[in-house]
Amino acid sequence: MARELMLSGCAAAAQAAKLAQVEVICSYPIRPYSAIMMELAKMVANGELDAEFIHGEGEHAQLSVVLGAAAAGARALTGSSGVGVTYAFETYSPIAGGRIPLQMMIADRALDPPGDFGSEHTDAMSTRDQGWLLGWAETPQEIFDNSLINYRVGEDHRVLLPQMVCQDGYFVSHIPGKVVIPDQSQVDEFLPPYELPHPLDPKRPVSHGPQIRPDQGTVMDMQRAQAMLDAPAVIAEVIDEYNRTFGRNYSPFVEEYMTDDAEIGLFIMGAHTMTARHAVRHLREQGVKIGLVKLRFVRPWPTQEVAQALSKFKAVGVVETSTSYGGAMRGGNLLHEVRASLYEVAQRPLTTSFMAGLGGEMVPLKDFYYMADILSKAVKDGKTKKTVYWVGFEAED
Amino acid sequence: MAIAVKTQNLPPIKLIRNVPKEEYYVPGHRTCAGCGPALQYKLVAKAAGPNTIFIGPTGCMYVANASYLCTPYTVPWMHAQITNGGAIASGIEAAYKVLLRKGKRTGELPNIIVMAGDGGTVDIGLQAMSAMMYRAHDVLFICYDNEAYTNTGIQTSPTTPYGANTTFTPPGSAIPEGKTLFPKDAPQLVIGGHPAVKYVATASVAYPVDLINKVRKGLNQQGPAFLHIHCPCPKGWKFDEAKTIEIARLAIETGMWNMYEWEDGVYRYQFRPKKYKPVREYMKLQGRFAHLTEAHIAKQQAFVDAKLKVHGIPVEVPAPAPRTQQ
Repeated sequence: MARELMLSGCAAAAQAAKLAQVEVICSYPIRPYSAIMMELAKMVANGELDAEFIHGEGEHAQLSVVLGAAAAGARALTGSSGVGVTYAFETYSPIAGGRIPLQMMIADRALDPPGDFGSEHTDAMSTRDQGWLLGWAETPQEIFDNSLINYRVGEDHRVLLPQMVCQDGYFVSHIPGKVVIPDQSQVDEFLPPYELPHPLDPKRPVSHGPQIRPDQGTVMDMQRAQAMLDAPAVIAEVIDEYNRTFGRNYSPFVEEYMTDDAEIGLFIMGAHTMTARHAVRHLREQGVKIGLVKLRFVRPWPTQEVAQALSKFKAVGVVETSTSYGGAMRGGNLLHEVRASLYEVAQRPLTTSFMAGLGGEMVPLKDFYYMADILSKAVKDGKTKKTVYWVGFEAED
Repeated sequence: MAIAVKTQNLPPIKLIRNVPKEEYYVPGHRTCAGCGPALQYKLVAKAAGPNTIFIGPTGCMYVANASYLCTPYTVPWMHAQITNGGAIASGIEAAYKVLLRKGKRTGELPNIIVMAGDGGTVDIGLQAMSAMMYRAHDVLFICYDNEAYTNTGIQTSPTTPYGANTTFTPPGSAIPEGKTLFPKDAPQLVIGGHPAVKYVATASVAYPVDLINKVRKGLNQQGPAFLHIHCPCPKGWKFDEAKTIEIARLAIETGMWNMYEWEDGVYRYQFRPKKYKPVREYMKLQGRFAHLTEAHIAKQQAFVDAKLKVHGIPVEVPAPAPRTQQ
């Protein structure tokens, strides 16, 4: 029987890892993700989970240990936050390029300077072009579900890609929410045992990662790109099965809220979606025609789904919780992708972005009301004034 | 937690003709003529046999062996970054432990061998190597030491000897000796701070039977072992490629390289010359030392003399007194 528990995002992530029966875990402490490892360490110590729990000497080592383990044929898990995510950067391309489908659980955190424990998407967002599946969860339940979904998708031989399963630090990682935990047998049915096509095994010798000639590089890059192209169909298929097996109701890529007849829309991912949803409901009660679109996967980026969901609005505000200093939109990363997705749309909505939730700051209802005001004005004026608003730090608009 | 059982007992060999005929590091790779590292690789692979997984951090033995999607290994091999040989090996070993425990793999724990250069061992790879030793993984970590970053164009590494001319330590009027620092001592780093390590040894391509036996001893250990193998590099050290073995022998005969085993806290020395030759005899054959003055060579001699004392090796023939000149 499925159980219903109150769990933080970190505890929910650990429950997912346990049910996925991960075999090699590599830890290194950094807040806030370390709570996932603390849970897993207890499970291994109590004999609830039969896994090798290895204390990495840093995040670079964490990723390297699980790379070795997953290449040898074990389901492997690691995780990190903030500067830990960036410390491991060298390893991301070899793992994705080697097509080793291990999982990294991230409770995100602002990068230095200065030292800041707060949530921000910039850490994992900075890895987005290495060939990892990447997406944020809004709740502990969603992080639990995303972990199992990502193992299944990443390990599918049509995909074979590593996965970054992200949750907002503290807002999701440390605030308990209701989580329905299925039975082991149900999970076993959904998630087959880890099987790599070419594991390191002396009975069947293979070489992993030899050097190539320059003219072989493009081919391998194309294969990695193709895996990303092939992933969406697998994601859709797997999430459909997940919904049916576990009684959930996820859209694979974008989830819409109150978008019928909406004129303005918020585009958002992760923890602050919850507040945004409340703001949208309140604004609707006041007659504002606003809706919300939540993004579930940053990689692979769902170009068609984003275009389709956003083209029904007259103006869209992209909520950015990551930075892209000097980027084309002068703010975060998402607006780049959103504008690119909308390029082919005949009736493009106006788009702008709102820097919000950086450094772990809360994004209260009033901030979303502010965004709605800007968007309503843009509709009225038929244009946006600029591509980025630093919410709370702008002169009167 | 159960530890995967390793019952293998790879036997020692007595003579060169007892070296296994089977090759697990086969011809066709692209190393230089007279390459010391390639020679040790061949011997190590023979010593380890077929139930082996090699981890190859970036270095000469990656770049020259694994070129263009072809590799010379008939056993499983995995590239590691130059940074993380010890960590990747740790993961492979951990995977095998759990997979054997769960019955997902059968047989013995494979011999897991990291084949790292000096940079991948005591420079950028030091952290991963040390952590692997600390965590007691059942892995043999080999440092094939050719005393420089050679595939990148002969740059100094922490094991490059004092006075060597490398592309990052060129001798010039302000810095006449080239490299001014004395090298890190890789085996002493391992011995000094890793209680899980039971076996550490040095070896040389000049003595293949000894090398094979040390590899086997390291592999028979349950737990981490470390082997530091001296591998002359004709290109990097600038000597006649026919003289690799001669240079390797001279390193031992002059005390520049010391052959020993450390097992459970006890040192045993091999190939200890009755009389040490002056280091000059070793250095004069190598272009990397050609620019040195007598004073520089005397400094190197004093370093070797002191090192031999630390090791408890009596310096039976002290170096000629340095002439102060220049």
